[in-house]
Amino acid sequence: MADDDVTRGELIDEAALTLDELARACAVEPDWVIERVESGLLADGSRYVTRQRLTSQRFTSHDLTRARRLRQVERDFEAEPELAALVADLIEEVEWLRGRLRATRPH
Amino acid sequence: MEFKDYYQTLGVDKTATVEEIKKAYRKLARKYHPDVSKEADAEARMQAINEAKEVLSDPEKRAAYDQLGEDYRAGQDFRPPPDWDAGFEFTGRGFEGAEADEFSDFFANLFGQGGRRERHGRGDYQRRGEDRHAKVLIDLADAYQGATRTITLQVPQVDAQGRVVTREHSLSVKIPKGVKEGQHVRLTGQGSPGLGGGPPGDLFLEIHFRPDPAFRVEGRDVFASVPVTPWEAALGASIETPTPVGPVRLKVPAGSQSGRRLRLKGRGIPGKEPGDLYVELTVVLPPADTDKARELYATMARELDFDPRRRRGG
Repeated sequence: MADDDVTRGELIDEAALTLDELARACAVEPDWVIERVESGLLADGSRYVTRQRLTSQRFTSHDLTRARRLRQVERDFEAEPELAALVADLIEEVEWLRGRLRATRPH
Repeated sequence: MEFKDYYQTLGVDKTATVEEIKKAYRKLARKYHPDVSKEADAEARMQAINEAKEVLSDPEKRAAYDQLGEDYRAGQDFRPPPDWDAGFEFTGRGFEGAEADEFSDFFANLFGQGGRRERHGRGDYQRRGEDRHAKVLIDLADAYQGATRTITLQVPQVDAQGRVVTREHSLSVKIPKGVKEGQHVRLTGQGSPGLGGGPPGDLFLEIHFRPDPAFRVEGRDVFASVPVTPWEAALGASIETPTPVGPVRLKVPAGSQSGRRLRLKGRGIPGKEPGDLYVELTVVLPPADTDKARELYATMARELDFDPRRRRGG
């Protein structure tokens, strides 16, 4: 195959997402993202965030995965955002523990 | 196009109340949610369940679907009659955005906004295409070296009759070197086509590594376990150890114990700050299954002043 036929992508993290790009990738409005960041459910919620600051914030690949998971759990189970975030926390922890478990199994 | 029996999908009667439909939906969502389900087709099942709930929990859509579906059974070949939806008004709530993109041809033909807008001649309407998402499995070695993968996607399109049809779109994609587990690669303009001349959306590829029993990955750091003999651990040795891109020589320091972790700096996943490769030594004892082996163990027992329990204070 000719090299021209190969599509090159950009790695998210090296080119992080803007608020609008993250919202669009999750099929939600920017306000949906802002509310969850302000509530500490998404991105680094430990920081003091303002809407003005959020418009210049950049979001990582992990934020994209988490935001899509939050949206899916909220939608599929008609869940409150806090409950969806709790589910996402638990899923992330289970994924990490499963990784550790795989590593400890005999080869 | 096949007719879809949404009642069958949710396992409810045609007389089910909205509450019964929601209850059935929640039960199935719990079972097939891709984050928790172990079923191979969980993602597809979840989409089908969402689609069925979307129609049956909305009184307008359900009424239209009930009238249309009287003469059809699941799987039967189906074409919506012209103006089938005359007399019904759809508010469109709940499926604007990517959700409708994930639904079937059947749904898109009946309720999808793309086909309806085309049919109703809203030529001035312009909208950017939806972003799409796909998961791609690569080997850990591909993260070290980069890889090219062919990805096949189902792309919804509006045909000459204004109906939504899907076509396969194959794309050869360069996965960049240095990608991490769960990281996304964005392919600009490779998402759904725009409407009315609007720009296409983007395609996001979520990268996952094929499970490899020899390696564990955390971020850019890679962990491996390598077996060594008691004398290699005790006396030191130069051994061959695997890495995701081929074996390297590793110096085992004298006096190593099982569980000792050696760091190969910069031999993890490449990047601006490359990860490290950690090799954990596992000392494996030779079996005492010959006279010679038993004699050697007996000699050690006699000659060496060694009691591992004493060192623990036990």
